[in-house]
Amino acid sequence: MRSKLLVLVFLLLAAFVHILSLGKAVDARNQLPQDDSDTFVLPSPILKIAALEFQGLASDVFFLKTMVFIGGTQQRKEMPRVKEWEWNWLVKVLDTATDLDPYFFDPYYYANAYLPWDAGKAAEANRILEKGSRYRDWDWMLPFYIGFNDFFFLGNDIDASAHLMEASRRPGGDPMLASLAARLAARGNRTETALYFLEEIAKRTEDRGMKKHYETRMRALRSLLFLDNSVSRFKKTFGRMPASLDELVNRNIIDQIPPDPYGGTYYITQDGKVRTTASSELEPYLSPEQKQIRQ
Amino acid sequence: MTALWPIALITFKEGIRNRAIYGITLFALLLFGATALVATMIPQEVGKVSVDMALSTISFTGLLLVLFVGINLMAKDLDKRTIYTVLARPLSRSQYIFGKFLGMILLILVTMCVLSLLAMAAIFLLKMSISGYFTRFSWPLIGLSIFLTILMLVLLSAISFLFASFTSSSFITLVLTIITYIIGHSISGVKALVETPSEVLGFGVSPVTVTLVRVAYYLFPNLSLFNIKLQAAHDLPVSTSYVAWTVLYGVVYICLSITLAAIIFRKKEFP
Repeated sequence: MRSKLLVLVFLLLAAFVHILSLGKAVDARNQLPQDDSDTFVLPSPILKIAALEFQGLASDVFFLKTMVFIGGTQQRKEMPRVKEWEWNWLVKVLDTATDLDPYFFDPYYYANAYLPWDAGKAAEANRILEKGSRYRDWDWMLPFYIGFNDFFFLGNDIDASAHLMEASRRPGGDPMLASLAARLAARGNRTETALYFLEEIAKRTEDRGMKKHYETRMRALRSLLFLDNSVSRFKKTFGRMPASLDELVNRNIIDQIPPDPYGGTYYITQDGKVRTTASSELEPYLSPEQKQIRQ
Repeated sequence: MTALWPIALITFKEGIRNRAIYGITLFALLLFGATALVATMIPQEVGKVSVDMALSTISFTGLLLVLFVGINLMAKDLDKRTIYTVLARPLSRSQYIFGKFLGMILLILVTMCVLSLLAMAAIFLLKMSISGYFTRFSWPLIGLSIFLTILMLVLLSAISFLFASFTSSSFITLVLTIITYIIGHSISGVKALVETPSEVLGFGVSPVTVTLVRVAYYLFPNLSLFNIKLQAAHDLPVSTSYVAWTVLYGVVYICLSITLAAIIFRKKEFP
């Protein structure tokens, strides 16, 4: 009886020390100098061979890595939430995942949702999406995404129009795509066209987190469009530019300045365009190349 | 054939009774559970990921079976000296090898069928609950992929018999079989890589390496031919001629290996 009790005490004690030592060891390990192996992704040709018969599975694992990474950044407090090298790593991992299984849709979906908007890497996103469009030749979504990025971020309306036409030809491609292509050719109000695009993307997005992501962008764009139109109205009424957005409120053109969903403040540039100070989130909208293209 | 059957049956029973098979089954069940768990995390192509995981689980479990149950079945008779009593019967050594191999095929077939049913049940349940995420999906291709996997496992098993016929310990057979598996699945990729012109590759490969890789390409079985998991997961077309040539290649390779094994085994001196 006593020996049984002794064994029990020993086991309990051992279990306690086990948990204690595990915690302490992990803490101490995190203090050790770290290598930067996380930033390194093996080249795809090597990975393809090393994955043996499990290429599809390896692709899934790489994609899950990006999901975990994006999820982790949502908790971060510091700004910018994601550092440049981390975006570069994400591009590499998504590229690798789609090299291992070029037919896998989800990495393309993620590349399109995060790279152009948050990372300001529309060209990289399009390079990955082009691969997807080549392999998934039945899928109209991918050329549609490329077309949007061409139009909105890269300011390349001609390529955008061509990609939209390609999307409209594929099975399931909506007739609205053809009309979008026509709009691009007409070079109308860009913010309005962008909203039209986004509404179509959001309509086809079922994932709730992703839908919210797009809806926030649409709110930001709607506010910009609203303010842009108000500035034009002010100009028509008073024959000059408003000195600031507050003047729109003071002169009763609008009731109030809508809040920027990204936490920035709206302002008017020298040439009368409305912009936001939350530049990191809408950076591409303000990029110098794009301004140049628009002028 | 009648002489082979009793040996095949004994081998099969011995394999089923092996404790390792419980461990392997438990492992497969855990992986199928993981399929359901991981698949629900995927935002879009749930179908692709679940098929990927299920087929990979079947393949990997079969590999464990061939490596840790199959090789032991062959080695046990030698290690425990029971082979003397078997060969004392009116039975040639080649008949013994063929019988053993037949039993191994039976073992692979039965376990793979059970695993496939489990895998298909897992996929079926997922598909029932969220059918909208299974846009490109094909049961026949999944079946074809499992069939080719079984053929690959039988081939690997035949090669392990060949190794067992001339090595003195089951551990060496195990190591050689694992090496063959790795080479078999990577050789066509490596061959394509070393044959790429150095301007494209960015670095030069010595001609000796290229020759070595080419020799290995014809010597080792090209196991990647039997891998159509990607096609099954995306419902991509697989031509009949591809399947026909691959099956022919597999069957011929199996016959070659097992015949060689029988020839070597006939000349073997027992301690």
